Amino acid sequence: MSRRYDSRTTIFSPEGRLYQVEYALEAISHAGTALGILAQDGIVLAAERKVTSKLLEQDTSAEKLYILNDNMICAVAGMTADANILINYARQAAQRYLLTYNEDIPCEQLVRRLCDLKQGYTQHGGLRPFGVSFIYAGWDPTRQFQLYQSNPSGNYGGWKATSVGANNASAQSLLKQDYKEECSLKEACGMAVKVLSKTMDSTQLSSEKVEFATVGKTKEGEIYHHLWSADEITALLKEHGLAKKEDTETG
Amino acid sequence: MSGYDRALSVFSPDGHVFQVEYALEAVKRGTCAVGVKGKDIVVLGCEKRSAMKLQDTRITPSKIGLIDTHVCLAFAGLNADARILIDKARLEAQSHRLTVEDPVSIDYITKYVAGVQQRYTQSGGVRPFGISTLIVGFDKGDTTPRLYLTEPSGIYSAWKANAIGRSSKTVREFLERNHKDGMDREETIKLTVKSLLEVVQTGAKNIEIAIMAPGKPLELLPVEDIESYVKNIETEKQEEASKKKGGRTPGTGTAAILTRPGGETGGAS
Amino acid sequence: MEVLLGITGKDFTILAASKAAMRGATILKSSDDKTRQLNQHTLMAYSGEAGDTVQFAEYIQANVQLYTMRNEVELSPSAISSFVRGELAKSLRSRSPYTVNLLLGGIDPITQKPHLYWLDYLASCASVPYAAHGYAQYYCLSILDKHHHPDINYEQGMKILRMCTDELKRRLPIDFKGVTVKVVTKDGINEVEYDDSKQVISA
Repeated sequence: MSRRYDSRTTIFSPEGRLYQVEYALEAISHAGTALGILAQDGIVLAAERKVTSKLLEQDTSAEKLYILNDNMICAVAGMTADANILINYARQAAQRYLLTYNEDIPCEQLVRRLCDLKQGYTQHGGLRPFGVSFIYAGWDPTRQFQLYQSNPSGNYGGWKATSVGANNASAQSLLKQDYKEECSLKEACGMAVKVLSKTMDSTQLSSEKVEFATVGKTKEGEIYHHLWSADEITALLKEHGLAKKEDTETG
Repeated sequence: MSGYDRALSVFSPDGHVFQVEYALEAVKRGTCAVGVKGKDIVVLGCEKRSAMKLQDTRITPSKIGLIDTHVCLAFAGLNADARILIDKARLEAQSHRLTVEDPVSIDYITKYVAGVQQRYTQSGGVRPFGISTLIVGFDKGDTTPRLYLTEPSGIYSAWKANAIGRSSKTVREFLERNHKDGMDREETIKLTVKSLLEVVQTGAKNIEIAIMAPGKPLELLPVEDIESYVKNIETEKQEEASKKKGGRTPGTGTAAILTRPGGETGGAS
Repeated sequence: MEVLLGITGKDFTILAASKAAMRGATILKSSDDKTRQLNQHTLMAYSGEAGDTVQFAEYIQANVQLYTMRNEVELSPSAISSFVRGELAKSLRSRSPYTVNLLLGGIDPITQKPHLYWLDYLASCASVPYAAHGYAQYYCLSILDKHHHPDINYEQGMKILRMCTDELKRRLPIDFKGVTVKVVTKDGINEVEYDDSKQVISA
């Protein structure tokens, strides 16, 4: 029966639900896990790469983590092709704001721009919703470090720690258990590795399977964002004793 | 397999526009919002989902939004839809100021919001907005409180008190029993909190209260104040209950049953 | 012969604008207010072509207020200056450009530091500690150069403003009917009583 309300465009079902949006959410729950943790002095984003091949070029293909702006980065779960459209839109919106006001766009505004676009695709003519959820990490002078999450419906919220994608329920409960209000960025990175190692299928992590990025403040008080290189990730994994065997042998 | 509820905004043979009716269902799935008018005050009350442990409480989008300094809107239904509609209303309010040098009247902005909602029930390829709104405020240089309701269909109506969202029927019936004309600030806030407590079992931490008075900025009641209202109401209820147990004492039993205000306004559901 | 003056100090920005509304050599009104409040902490004073000024100022005011309502935060004076400069630049290369000169004064809502921007119809924009538009530049900038200091308090600021307006009365060939004075502090924008009755006789 429900088939009648779930095909074609986004319309209300008799119970007032939007099945297309709910199915998009379902699609995301099969994607690789991504998580973000807000610390006192920064934010860490981490994501699992689902498919890896030895032939894939490592350094040029960040699949899940993207830079949006000088003060903001994001992690993606869901359809990467859809994400590219939205990320492009966000980057343009951020630059347009910079051009107009000569200031970086406040984090919530950029998130909202993106969510307004997502909302549009749940309401207007014959298009399917975007099949991606985002986690955003950023900084602005009003609210300092901030972590957001958004989903295909166009809803968003602020979080201290959050996750999307496959196993996000268990990731979320792990985060809830381990999160400390006053944790440092370094501790947050450790926590991110630990949570990822427990939610991923394979017990051994490697730099091919995860991506890491951080937003923080330099000693001079400037905001930086940084997508981690394979070596840095390996070092972090080693530190927490979660690296793959061969890595430890060669290292 | 009639198909009249699949295409967007099309009449069925028996005269229904199903998408609009289904949108109302989306409203009913939203959290409850209440609006109550007093003598020279109008109060909005909202049910607030409790924040999860890991949520950043600085950034939880509110159900109550300011359209202009003198107009306030509360909604029930889809959050993302509301954001879009509120943004349109804010743009109209400022554009109105620029063209006619006056702030919008509450009546005008209500018609505008309802107009936008109506358009989305009749244009091609769009679904209606899945929200109902309560719009409150004061016109420029006027001390009469205003309270309007708009629905996904584009219907709008003026009310003394009303509720939208989850269990709104229960709350509305409560308001019908207890609302009286010319309430002062305290009474109005109390009635708002009391009516919300009909559906919110968890008390003050899940209630949001916004107050508008003529010429003053929007006032969001701090949690402690809401808590004291809740406490007062609870002790009152207990007293009443114990009195009832002790048999009817003359003069007290009627306190809860007040005369119904004026003729009931029909029409909007 | 319109006069616009701006002075920043330790924790305030003063804007002053002449009260005369003129058309050619005729004074139409002597209580004109050539300022618009843009938000809680930013004030704009304007001079230039009569119709353009108000039209442009109200357009900017509406946009800044729309930003405040939409985002539930205020734009900083520096962000507003960039926005206004952008609008002037767009207008400059359009078919009918606005002929408006502006002073933009305010307090940054986050750092609480005073800011003053000097903008003209050619879309230049400069952040300055004190500023003047029109003929006032010739008479007042030297006074401000001599007496201004970034750490002056409000009383000292008003004293310097008095020196400026006295000098204008002494030297300007046309009566500009005194000035409206407004002060921006962290608590908001306030109009200040300003005594214009004194006659200043030139040497």
